[in-house]
Amino acid sequence: MGRLLLPALALAFLSGGPAQAADAPPNGPPGASSCTGCHAPMKVTDSVIPRIAGRKSADIVTAMREYRSDAWPSSVMGRIAKGFDDQQTEAIAAWFAVQPE
Amino acid sequence: MATRRTFLKLAGAAGLAAPSLASAQGAARVVVVGGGFGGATAARTLKQLDPKLGVTLVEPNPIYTACPFSNSVLANLREMSQQQFRYDGIKAAGVTVAETSATAIDALARTVTLADGTQLSWDRLVLSPGIDFDWGAIPGYDEAAAQKMPHAWKAGAQTVLLRQQLQDMRDGGLVVMSSPPNPFRCPPGPYERASLIAYWLSIWKPKSKLLLLDSKDAFSKQRLFQDGWAQLYPGTIEWVPLSKGGKVTSVDPATLTLTTEFGSHKADVANVIPPQKAGAIAAKARVADRTGWCPVEPVAFESTLQRGIHVLGDAAIMGAMPKSAFAANAQAKVCAAAIVELLAGRAPQQPLLINTCYSLLAADYGISIAGVYRPDKGLLADIPGAGGVSPLSAVGGLRGQEALYASSWFRTITAETFG
Repeated sequence: MGRLLLPALALAFLSGGPAQAADAPPNGPPGASSCTGCHAPMKVTDSVIPRIAGRKSADIVTAMREYRSDAWPSSVMGRIAKGFDDQQTEAIAAWFAVQPE
Repeated sequence: MATRRTFLKLAGAAGLAAPSLASAQGAARVVVVGGGFGGATAARTLKQLDPKLGVTLVEPNPIYTACPFSNSVLANLREMSQQQFRYDGIKAAGVTVAETSATAIDALARTVTLADGTQLSWDRLVLSPGIDFDWGAIPGYDEAAAQKMPHAWKAGAQTVLLRQQLQDMRDGGLVVMSSPPNPFRCPPGPYERASLIAYWLSIWKPKSKLLLLDSKDAFSKQRLFQDGWAQLYPGTIEWVPLSKGGKVTSVDPATLTLTTEFGSHKADVANVIPPQKAGAIAAKARVADRTGWCPVEPVAFESTLQRGIHVLGDAAIMGAMPKSAFAANAQAKVCAAAIVELLAGRAPQQPLLINTCYSLLAADYGISIAGVYRPDKGLLADIPGAGGVSPLSAVGGLRGQEALYASSWFRTITAETFG
C-alpha cells in the first residue's frame, strides 16, 4: 500500500500542489471568480452584502433562479442572474458550497 | 524568495536574460506590472492558485490610492486615508513586491527592466498599468496646467487639490468640468463627480453652479443621473453635450478659461478630465495599438500584439466591458487562473465575467449599472438579456439601498485586493 501511495503523492506534488481534477479549473467554474468582487471570500466588517461561501448549493441555485425570473425583488442581482443559465448557475453554486465559510 | 531575488539581481547585474536558468529551478515566474485593482489582484490570485509560482509585483508607490469613492472625498463624505491601501497583505500572501517602476520590456527575451537597473525574467508577464493622460490633446492642458485645473482622475494629490479649490471658492462661484471622449476610465465617474460636487455645493455654497462640458452626446446611466439632478439639485448642474458645444478645444490655466467651439467659459474652479490612453509602459512593451489602448484576446487577456504578455483593466480593450475597478479585479482573477493553466500546458476555460458599477448622487442615493460578459468574436461581449441600469422609478428605498451596497462593495473589493 505504502509503496503504491508514495509515487502517487510524489506525482501529485510535482504536477502542481493540491490535487485538482482535470475538469475542475483552479479558480472555479466560469463566472464564479467575479462573484467575490461583492460577495467577499473573507469576513468583511460593515458590509450589507451577504457572503455566499459555504452556503448550501441548493439555496444559491434557488436564489439565482428567483432573481432571474424577477420573482424575488432585487437591486442588482436580477440583472446579473439573467446572464447565467441553469447549468452555469449550478456549477457556481456547487463551487461556493465547498468554499470555506 | 531572498535567494531568487539575489539571483535575479546578479543576473541583472551580469546582463543575463537567463530564462533557461530560471526554468531549470523548476518554478515558473510571473511578473505583474502595476499594483492597482487589476495587478494587485492578479499577483495575489496567482500565488493563491499556485503557491510554487514566483510572483513579483512591480509598483513604485508604497501606498495605493483608490479612485472609486474618491468623488466622495471631494464632497467631504470620506477622508483621503479611507482611499489608501498598502501592499502588506500582498507581501504576506507570498508575492515579492518590487517598489520601483518598470522602464523597459523585451517580449522576445522575456525580461522586464526596472528603474534601478534590475532585470527580471518571466514566463508570463501581466501588465495592469491603468491610464495615462493624452497631454496636448487639449491645447493648453499639460501637467503644469493640471496644478491650476486639476484632473483628479488619478486619485491622490490631485483629489486633495480639487477639494481645496472647491472649499476656497466663493459662494456663487462657477465650477466647470470637462468630460472626455470615449473610451476613458470609469464611464459614469464624471457624472458621479458632478452630482457629489453639487451635493456639497448645496450644503456649503448654495448660490454656486456647475457647468459640465462634455465631448459626448450620451453617457453612462444618463437618465438616472439627469432625473436625480432634477430632483436633488434643480438648476445647479448644466450639462452641455458635444452637439451643443460641449467639446473643450483649448484651456487657459492662467485665467481658468475653457474654450469650446461655441464660446468661452471662465471658471472659479475648473476640473479638466483629459482624453486618456493606456499607461506608458504599454507603449514601451509594444502592446498598445494606434488607439493608445491594448488589444487582447478575451479568454486569458493575452496581448494580440505580443505573445506571453497579458494586459488587464483600464489599459486593455475589453470589448463591452467598461474600464472600472470591478472589471479589472474580475479580469485579474480570470487571467490568473488562465495563466496557471497555460503554464501547466492546459487550455484555459472560456470565462464569464461580471461588472457592477455603483455611482452616488448623494450620500444616501446610489444607482448602478451591471453587465455579464463572455468571449464572442475575439472580444468580450454583453450577454443579451442580462445587465442594465437601476430602474428609473425607485420604490422601497432602492436608492438608499444601492448607496449601502456601493460602500459595502468598496470594502469588499479592497479587502479582496489588498486586505
